[in-house]
Amino acid sequence: MLIDIHAHIWGGTIEENKSEIIKACELYNISKVYISGIRSHYPDKDEIDYLNYEVYKFIKEQPERIGGFCYVNPVHDNCMDVLRKGIEDYHMEGMKLWVATFCNDPRVFPLVEKCIDYNIPVLVHAFKKTVGQLEYETVGTHVADLASRYPEARLIMAHLGGNAYHGVKCIKKYKNVWVDFSGSIFRRDDLDYTVEQIGVERIVFGTDMVGSFLVNYGQVEEANLTPEEKEMIYYKNALKVLHG
Amino acid sequence: MKKIDVNCLVGNWPFRKIRKITFNDLKSIHEVNNMEYGYVSSLNSIFYNDPFEGDQDLHEIIKGTPYKHVLTVNPELPWFIDDIEEGIKLFDIKGVRIYPGYHGYTLDNQPVERLCRILAEKKLPLFITIRMEDERLNYLFQPRGIDKAELSHFLESHPENTVILLSIRYGEIMNIKDIINSRRNVFVDTSGFKDLLFIIEKLTKVVDHRKILYGSNHPLYCMKSTILLVEKAEVDSSVKEDIFYNNVRNILG
Repeated sequence: MLIDIHAHIWGGTIEENKSEIIKACELYNISKVYISGIRSHYPDKDEIDYLNYEVYKFIKEQPERIGGFCYVNPVHDNCMDVLRKGIEDYHMEGMKLWVATFCNDPRVFPLVEKCIDYNIPVLVHAFKKTVGQLEYETVGTHVADLASRYPEARLIMAHLGGNAYHGVKCIKKYKNVWVDFSGSIFRRDDLDYTVEQIGVERIVFGTDMVGSFLVNYGQVEEANLTPEEKEMIYYKNALKVLHG
Repeated sequence: MKKIDVNCLVGNWPFRKIRKITFNDLKSIHEVNNMEYGYVSSLNSIFYNDPFEGDQDLHEIIKGTPYKHVLTVNPELPWFIDDIEEGIKLFDIKGVRIYPGYHGYTLDNQPVERLCRILAEKKLPLFITIRMEDERLNYLFQPRGIDKAELSHFLESHPENTVILLSIRYGEIMNIKDIINSRRNVFVDTSGFKDLLFIIEKLTKVVDHRKILYGSNHPLYCMKSTILLVEKAEVDSSVKEDIFYNNVRNILG
């Protein structure tokens, strides 16, 4: 069994992305992929509406294979309603935050409180960059701050915080933070380092499809892990973070 | 399926702990993955003021094995041609690897011209390192990037040189695909292929697959990831064999 906790359809190429994701599921035996729709860094309300609706349609088309994370822009005054609609009407199973605000922005707090009520995880894009850092792009310290404020929230820090050697230690002491190693980072040692720092129990498998898949799968296969530990990363930990 | 790794290294990396730094580590992972041998360079030589010292150490480690020595050269150093001569004589080098980003020069400078002349004369390939790490993840030091104009101009100006572009990305290949396709002796390795699903399938539609060589950039990058990209690609098995093995044998012997 394999659960990909972090994948996307991109506004503008949605149909193409959907068919590539389904093809990847078939070719690589992926059991379930959790999708959020994204496009611009600072989306307006219509864009958010459109992206979540497209994810909903994808879930309806492929209910066995596709799950959804509700994409929310905390800046919008209707963001609570967007989350409600995503979870209650579209049957999405988590909330996705990208780069419109830091994840510890006070406007995020009511959203996280609602996720605690819903008993769903929050997938937080986090990426510490040497070049090209966006103005409100979350890094490990922001995730740690949010985790400390809401110890009952289940947070997933995406991309190992971008640079694992920056992000992972930030969240080390917060047991309510899991990490995924999705995206285009394929350093040989990142996963071994992360296991040494926070243990295998807090690592979930994510890819950032349609960006990559085999890159991340290869990282697990090459890391210094037992078959049981690989199973934890491939799906068992995801079940815990999704369902509590 | 037999394989050769055209881009592998042995040694230390100063910016983070590398867990698989020894030649035995490299051989082990190659054996597990059915890799016959690799074109190996010294990681230490990138950072040594006299890179040849790192290459002497590498030679002691790999001599008597099937592995091929690729000499690290900084053409800004005044005696680099002597090093190449020595490398041929002492180490039986099979190529020269450069790091313009780390050593801080452009490909159109005079020493690079001299390097290209000597490599053409000696019939040795030039391995150009486009990057060693994702630029976003560099620590302490930001190597200079090599842009499309610089690379295109270099490739157009040196038709006599066999050139292997290491850790180049899909988008960067697209930028220079016409040059790659039109030049018989310009190649790319697989180590930079990380940004797309089905990347081999997509790439082989626009670039002659005989221009693609399997390279891992191990131990910095994950070898299994790049192996899987080729192994799992929906292309003819003969294309996979060429990428993993035949292309390198045809080009480098």
